[in-house]
Amino acid sequence: MIFESHLLSMVVYALFVALVMALIRRDDTKARVRYGLLLFAVMTAGALAFGWFMFLFIKK
Amino acid sequence: MKIKGIVALVLGWAVPGLGHAIQKKYLRAALFFVSIFAMTGIGLVMGGKVYPMYLEPPHNVFQVFLNLFRKENPLTILAFFADIGNGLFYALSRLFAWGGGELERATFEFGTAYIAGAGLLNFLIAIDAYDIGAGKKK
Repeated sequence: MIFESHLLSMVVYALFVALVMALIRRDDTKARVRYGLLLFAVMTAGALAFGWFMFLFIKK
Repeated sequence: MKIKGIVALVLGWAVPGLGHAIQKKYLRAALFFVSIFAMTGIGLVMGGKVYPMYLEPPHNVFQVFLNLFRKENPLTILAFFADIGNGLFYALSRLFAWGGGELERATFEFGTAYIAGAGLLNFLIAIDAYDIGAGKKK
């Protein structure tokens, strides 16, 4: 089954969103690469951080 | 509003990237098409759901309005507006009955998010094509 891993699904999703947003929101290549990588890193790290934050409230 | 911009907006919504392609932005057009196609395709393979406008087809004009309030969950109308952003892929999914949603699969929610995300991104791509056509952006 494709993308059984939620982490991989999230990373691929972030990759596509970062690519499209970088192409839309920046005009030159250098700025696009920088913005795309930043967006990808923020989305991935943010999701991981929020995932661990939710772990604090897990029912035992 | 400039005609060129409106044509780019409509074509860009109908086929992801076409609004940029008609303005000779071929690389961007290809990347947009591949991204939206891949996201929608992955979403469908993951068993995601494409939300239709109506649960049951309307038989008259009054029922078109009435159907808005007869959905299983009124929030699905928001999902419909996100999904319809896929343009051609939305039409194909309705035509060939793809995207029925496989709720029993663990990937259902993520698949649905992929399809809705692709639709919303394509709205932004179409608006970007309008901006280029209207001369607001290079």
